[in-house]
Amino acid sequence: MMNVLKTRLIHWRKQVFPLLFWLLLPIIAVILLIQAANAIQADSKVPVGLVVEENTQFAKDLAASIKQTPFIRVYETTEEDAKLKLEQHELDSAFVIKEGYEDNVRKGSRNRLVTSYKSDLSFAYTPVSEMIISYVQQDTGRSKAAHTVKALSDNYSPDQQWSWEEVVTKSKEVEAEESLLHTTFTFADSAKEDEENEITILNTWGLWAVFSILSTLLLFDWVIRENRKSLIPRFTFIRFSYKNYFVLNTLLYTILLFLFDLAAVISFNLFLNEPFAMNIWVLLTYRLMLNAGAFLLALCFNNIYLFYSASFALTLFFGILSGAVIPIEGLTQRFQWLEYVNPLDAFLSGRNSSLWLAVLLFIFALWYVRKEKSDASH
Amino acid sequence: MLHINNLSKKFGKKPILQSISFSVRQGEIIGLVGENGAGKSTLLNILATIQKPSDGNISLNELTYEKDRKDIRKQIGFVPQDIAIWDEFTVEENMIFFEKLAWRRKDKSELKQLCLDMELNKWGEPVKRLSGGMKRKLNLAISLIHDPELLLLDEPTVGIDLKSRKEIGNYLKRQAFHQKKLIIYTSHDMDEINNLCDRVICIGDDPFYKNLLMDMGKDVISF
Ligand SMILES: Nc1ncnc2c1ncn2[C@@H]1O[C@H](COP(=O)(O)OP(=O)(O)O)[C@@H](O)[C@H]1O
Ligand SMILES: [Mg+2]
Repeated sequence: MMNVLKTRLIHWRKQVFPLLFWLLLPIIAVILLIQAANAIQADSKVPVGLVVEENTQFAKDLAASIKQTPFIRVYETTEEDAKLKLEQHELDSAFVIKEGYEDNVRKGSRNRLVTSYKSDLSFAYTPVSEMIISYVQQDTGRSKAAHTVKALSDNYSPDQQWSWEEVVTKSKEVEAEESLLHTTFTFADSAKEDEENEITILNTWGLWAVFSILSTLLLFDWVIRENRKSLIPRFTFIRFSYKNYFVLNTLLYTILLFLFDLAAVISFNLFLNEPFAMNIWVLLTYRLMLNAGAFLLALCFNNIYLFYSASFALTLFFGILSGAVIPIEGLTQRFQWLEYVNPLDAFLSGRNSSLWLAVLLFIFALWYVRKEKSDASH
Repeated sequence: MLHINNLSKKFGKKPILQSISFSVRQGEIIGLVGENGAGKSTLLNILATIQKPSDGNISLNELTYEKDRKDIRKQIGFVPQDIAIWDEFTVEENMIFFEKLAWRRKDKSELKQLCLDMELNKWGEPVKRLSGGMKRKLNLAISLIHDPELLLLDEPTVGIDLKSRKEIGNYLKRQAFHQKKLIIYTSHDMDEINNLCDRVICIGDDPFYKNLLMDMGKDVISF
């Protein structure tokens, strides 16, 4: 095996740059694409100024809910600065949580809790202010309810005293529980939603899976380049038969590519904060399936440029079929069998690619045995 | 000793080789001649275990081709008619590549010496830039890495310059004389055959080569 590796290294030394390029392509392309998509998404968020004048829990909670709103990006600043930036159109609109916010909410006063600024170019002012008003109303409504409950309890069970604070806290608890239920529900519904309402259009491992098909296929052009009729007689007089040479080299390519798959796991964690959730067996069976497939496909070709064209076409086909590039959920829901036929499906849904791997290994075994026979019959 | 006894080969119903019997001693060079399509390559392929005979038996020393194919292969240096080398590699890389996969280990200096022995002195040169003669020499050198006892060469000197041809011929002569190798090779160059070979096997119906060589005073066996 060491000796085969040494012969492989002679080949690899001759093509260091294309080799590295195709090995790194899935990692680099995915990182660039995801980061570009995130940048575009961040740019498309509406910049909104927020001034928090009051330093109470109520004011902080309101500011926090505003910040969590999707599709707006909040800049905390001073009132003066907010007005200036608004004039320069760096902010779409600005909102000031006034000193005395909590007092006013407690008193049930609904006037001048929040001051807002807009310019003649503010296009998101109305929806954003509506949304902030709804948060404020939540607070004032809760306060009003607390006053009512307190009044009721004062009237009907004077021995059991509820303070205004207790009622408000209780109300928030109830809300939190309900929201929790709500979140669990959506989580179960749409498998993968990020914590921060960050909607990712591109799926990191889905993209990687598609780029890996392309890079694996193109790396396996060695099968065609080294499958030379003139060289076959040599293999009768050396330690490795022609097919064993190919099998061992496929193994070497598998080790090399798997190392780069692991590098992808690490890079995606470093650069994209992708959690270390990738199951090693899922990754390995996917790799084995790709390599077995690429090897068998390459065996069918004599013309390397035809093979390249087929590789691009196949990648495009599987990319579309898998929904990793364009979501086609409607299609797979209508035709369930598509999921079984699609070799990417197992990997994308976190399962071992055992079915396809088994099929390909079976064909691989047939190739191995068939060649053996035709050699002996000479 | 190589013994070939009553060997025949048919492709389908078409007989190519019929009842061929001869023996080769250590240190002997045998020339194989005949017109194109006579079956020279087929005979060499059979002796190289690449093809199986339809009939007859062959043995090398104590090993028979029937039973000991694997071991016999380690004793054979086969030089294919088509040049079988990596043309994107240098001479050095080609030698090292095949040494790594060979039955016998040789270090770099031994490999280099093997090339120098047949005056292939372009160690670091990419094969693409070699002349035809140099490529033929490399094709031969690779086949000899594992020090085989029986050398089978299919037109090793075809289409190359006279100087390279002489150098390859002299190398083969030294191999037979000093190393006691058994050498069987094919060529269309009758002067070369006359110079190098101890005996000649002539196959095919055409008596042209046979008569020519007999006139040169060669020991000719024809089938
Ligand atoms: N695998 C094969 N199947 C059928 N016929 C073959 C095969 N190999 C060679 N032949 C035929 O056998 C004859 C001898 O071929 P070959 O040994 O290459 O001749 P030579 O080397 O003397 O020119 C030719 O007529 C060729 O067409
Ligand atoms: Mg021939």
